[in-house]
Amino acid sequence: MRFSIVRAILFKELRETLRDRRTLFMTLGLPVLLYPLVILAFTRIAESGEDAIAADQSVVAVWGALPVPVDAALTESADLALQPWGEAPAEVREGLPAGRFERRDPQGAEPAAGQTAGPAASSPAGPLRRSRGGNRETEPENPVLAAARAAVASRKVQAVIVAWPDTAPAFAQGDAVPLTVYYDSVRRQSSVAHDRVATALRDARDRIVDERQRARNLPGGFAEGLTVHTRNTSSAERRSGQLLGSLLPYILLTLSVLGGMYAAIDLTAGEKERGTMQTLLCAPITSAEIVLAKFLTVWLLSLLSLVANLVSLSLTVSRLLPADLPGVGATNLVLALAVLLPVTLTSSALFLACASFARDFRDGQTMLTPVYMAVALPAGVVALPTIELNAWTAFVPIVNVTLLVKALFLREASAELIFLTLLSACMYAAVAIAGAVHVFHRETVLVGEKTSMRTIFERGARAGGTPNAGFALTAFAVLLVVQFYGSLSLRNLPIHWLLVTLQYGGFLLPTLGMLALFGFDARRTLGLRRPPVVALVSAVALGLSAWLFAGGVVARLLPPPESLTRAMERFIQLGDQPMPLWVVWLVIGITPAICEELFFRGLVFSGLRRLGGWPAVLGSALLFALAHASIYRLMPTFILGVVLGVLRWRSGSVVPGMVMHAINNGLIGTLAQRPDLAAWFGMQGASGTMPWGPVLAGTAVMIGALGVLRLIAPAAGDDPPAGAYDTSAAPSRP
Amino acid sequence: MPAATGGLEAESLGRRFGDVTAVDDVSLQVRPGEVVGLLGPNGAGKTTTLRMLAGILSPDRGRVMVDGLDMRADPIAAKRRLGFLSGDTQLYQRLSPREMLRYFATLYELAPARATKRIDTLIAELDITSFAGRPCGTLSSGQKQRANVARAFLHEPQLLILDEPTNALDVVSGQFIVQAIRRARDAGRAVLLSTHIMGEAEYLCDRIALIHRGRIVDSGSLEGLLQRSGQGNLTDAFLHYAGAATGATTA
Repeated sequence: MRFSIVRAILFKELRETLRDRRTLFMTLGLPVLLYPLVILAFTRIAESGEDAIAADQSVVAVWGALPVPVDAALTESADLALQPWGEAPAEVREGLPAGRFERRDPQGAEPAAGQTAGPAASSPAGPLRRSRGGNRETEPENPVLAAARAAVASRKVQAVIVAWPDTAPAFAQGDAVPLTVYYDSVRRQSSVAHDRVATALRDARDRIVDERQRARNLPGGFAEGLTVHTRNTSSAERRSGQLLGSLLPYILLTLSVLGGMYAAIDLTAGEKERGTMQTLLCAPITSAEIVLAKFLTVWLLSLLSLVANLVSLSLTVSRLLPADLPGVGATNLVLALAVLLPVTLTSSALFLACASFARDFRDGQTMLTPVYMAVALPAGVVALPTIELNAWTAFVPIVNVTLLVKALFLREASAELIFLTLLSACMYAAVAIAGAVHVFHRETVLVGEKTSMRTIFERGARAGGTPNAGFALTAFAVLLVVQFYGSLSLRNLPIHWLLVTLQYGGFLLPTLGMLALFGFDARRTLGLRRPPVVALVSAVALGLSAWLFAGGVVARLLPPPESLTRAMERFIQLGDQPMPLWVVWLVIGITPAICEELFFRGLVFSGLRRLGGWPAVLGSALLFALAHASIYRLMPTFILGVVLGVLRWRSGSVVPGMVMHAINNGLIGTLAQRPDLAAWFGMQGASGTMPWGPVLAGTAVMIGALGVLRLIAPAAGDDPPAGAYDTSAAPSRP
Repeated sequence: MPAATGGLEAESLGRRFGDVTAVDDVSLQVRPGEVVGLLGPNGAGKTTTLRMLAGILSPDRGRVMVDGLDMRADPIAAKRRLGFLSGDTQLYQRLSPREMLRYFATLYELAPARATKRIDTLIAELDITSFAGRPCGTLSSGQKQRANVARAFLHEPQLLILDEPTNALDVVSGQFIVQAIRRARDAGRAVLLSTHIMGEAEYLCDRIALIHRGRIVDSGSLEGLLQRSGQGNLTDAFLHYAGAATGATTA
C-alpha cells in the first residue's frame, strides 16, 4: 500500500467531486441552504397562523339555556364570542327546550364524572374531562351530535356548548351541572376554541363551588378535596435533550448518509459510465489503493455533509425550541459528531461496495435506494420514547448509535454502554469496509461486466488456504454479536454452565465450522504445531507472571468501579457457592485457553498475519480485549493478548498460548476460591489491588520470559505461503 | 516459449465469463520496434485479450510477460512499462488535460521535474496547448483522443496496447493517431494494435493476428496471411477466416 498513490487518487476524487454541482448540492447545498430555509419558512407560516388564531375571538354556539354563573363566565371571556343557537337546525332549536333530546354517554365512558366539570379536572384543557383514547370522546350517533358536527364543519362557529334539559334542574338542586362541548380536534381553530371554553368553564366551576360552599358555611377548598402540586425534576437541558435527542440523530444520520450516497455512486458507477475506470485500472496501482482512496473520499464527503448538517440543523432547530429551553450546546455537537463517525464509515463502505455493481449513475441510484432505506429506517427508532439504549440495543446496528446520541443529549449514557455501542459500531464499520475491499478485488465488477451482487458473499477460498484480514474481522464481528446476545439470553444459567456454553458454542464450534465451511487448512490456520520446548517453558513463566503485571499496574492506572469489581469477583468465583478447584481450572482456565486461543491466536491471528508479525500480534490482542466487552478490562486483556500473540508469533504454535492462558486464568480462579492464598500475596480477594512487591517480581519474570522468546527463530512455514487464500490473488468469478 | 527479453509475450491465455469462453489459448508476441495487429469481428475476444494483456483482467490460465516482467507476479512493475489506449476510453470530465496528465504522472510515480517536462513536451508535440486548461468534458472527440494519447505516452512505456484508437475519429484526428503510432514504432516501442479499419492495419502492422471466437485462427506477415488465405487483400482474407470459422463461404 503506497499512501502517496492513495493521496493522489483521494485528492483527484475530491477535486472532481467538488466540481460536480449535483454531488456538491447533495453534500452541502441541502444542509446549508435548503433545510434551514424550508424549516424556517414552515415555522414562520405556522407561527403566523397561530398568531392569527390567537388574535381572533373564537365563535362558540350555545344551544340551550346556561346557568347564570356559567353564562357570565363565558360572556366575560374576551377570547370568546357567544352565539345563542348559532347554526342550530330547527329540529334542535325546538327539540332541546322541549326535552326531546337526552344527553348520550360516549361508548365505554366512565360514569357520570366523565361528563362533569369536576374539581379534580386538571388537564390543560381545564375541567372538560378527556378520557384516555379518542374513541371514548365520541358519543353514539344522535341528532344533536350530527347537528353540532355540521355546525363546526361549516366553520361559522368553532365549537358548540349544549345545555341539556337536565342542566338547569341539576344546577338548582346543587348537583354537578351537565354540559357538553362539541369541537373538532383536527381543526386548529376549533381546538383553540375548546381550550378557551374550558378555561372559562373552569372559572364558572370555581364560582359555583365557592357560592355553594359559602351557602353551606363550608371552608374554602372543601370541595377541592386535594390540592396536588406537580413539579418537573427534569432540568431545562434534559428537556431540551429529550426534544433534540428524538429528532436530531435521525435527521443527522439520514442526511449525512445521503451526502455520501451520491459521492459513492459518482465514484463507482459514475466512473464506469464515463469510461474512466478502465484508464485507472491499467495504471500501476493496486485495487486496495483504489478502494482505500475512494472509500476515504466518500467518507470525507459524508463527514463534510455530517458537519454541515450538524451546524445547520443545530442552529435551525434551536430556533424551533421553546424559549425556556437551551439550544444544542457545543459539547452536544462534538459528542454527536464523534458518535456518528462509525456510522458514516459503515454507510460509506456499504454504499461503495453496492454502487460498484451498478453500470451507470441511474443504476446506482436504483441499487442504493434500498441500502439507504435499510440504513435510514432503523434510525427512526430513536423517536420512540419507550426504546432506550441498553445492553440489548447497544449491539443493534444504526439503532445503537442514534440511541446513544439521544442518551448523551439526556446526559444518561453510562461509560459501559458508550463503550459497547462504539465497539459494535466500529465492528460493523470494519465488516463493511472489509466487504468493500472484497468487492473491489472482483475485477469484473470494476471493468463494468455484468456481475451479480451475490459475489459479495462468494467465499472465494481456495481449499487448503488460510483466511485473510477481512475474513478475520468479519468472523470476529459475527462472534462478538453472537457472544453478546448469547450471554444476555443465557444469563439465568449458573455461571459455570454459562461460561462453558459460551466458550464451546460461541468460540470453538464457530471456529471449527468456519474452517470446514471455507476449506481453510486447519493446521496452518490454527497454528496446530508442536512448539519448541523453550516456548513452552516461556509460556509457563508468562502464565505465572503476566497477570501480576497486567492486573497490578493497570488496576492502579484505571481502577474499575466497585460494582464491576464485585461482579468480576462473583464471576471468577463461579457464583456464590465454593467450587472444587478442578472445576475452577476446567471452566476458568482450560476451557477459555482452548476455545479463545483457537479463535484469537488461531483464526484471527493467521488472518491478520498477512499484514505482518506485529500487526497480527497487536490486532489480535485488540480484538481479544474488545471481546471482553468492558472498558475497564480493555487494557489488562490487551496486554495479555499482546503477550499471547508474541507467543504464537515466535513459536508458530497455538499451544504455548493455551498453556499460558490456562495458567493465568486458573491462578486467578484459584485465588478467588482461596482467600488465604490471595492474602499471602497481600491481596484482599482475587480482584483486590496487588502490592508492588509481587507486581515487580511478576513484571521481571515476564520480561525475562519474553526475552527468552526472542531466542526462537520465527517458525518456518508460519508465514502464509504464496498462493494461499487471499482474495486479491484469487481469480475473479464473474 | 523462450524467456522474454522485451516487448510483449502472451502464452496460452484463457478466460471464461460464466459458461462463455471469451478467450481460448491465445498466444501472442510483440517485439520492440514492431507493430502487431489484432484483428477480429465483434465479439471475437479482442477486448478481453487486450484487457488481460494490459493487466486490467486476470487470465484464468496462461501468462503475460511485459518487457520480461510477469504480469501476475509483479503487476505494478509490468504496468509501468505499458501504455493502454482504447477508443472508448474517456477522460475525467471535470479535469483539464494538464490536470489529468499531472494526476497520472503521480500514479506512475514520475519525479516531479520529469513529470513537468514530459507534460510540457507532450502538450507541445500533440498540439494540446490551446485546450490544455479546459475541462475534458468540453473537448471534441479528436481533442480528447489527443489528450488520451498523451496519457498513454506520458511515462514513455516500452509497450503500447491500442484498442481501436481511431474509433469514431474524423480523418484528420485519425491520421494524427496513426502518425503517433508510427513514431512510437520508430522509437523502438512494441505496439499491439486492435482495429476494424483494414487499411490502417495494412499501413501500420508488421504482423497481423486474426482472432475469432476467442482463438487465434492465423497470424503472420500480411503477405503470409494473403498467401495462406488465397485472397488479394486483407479485407477478403479477414472475411475468409471469419467465414471459415463460422462455416460460411465467401466470394
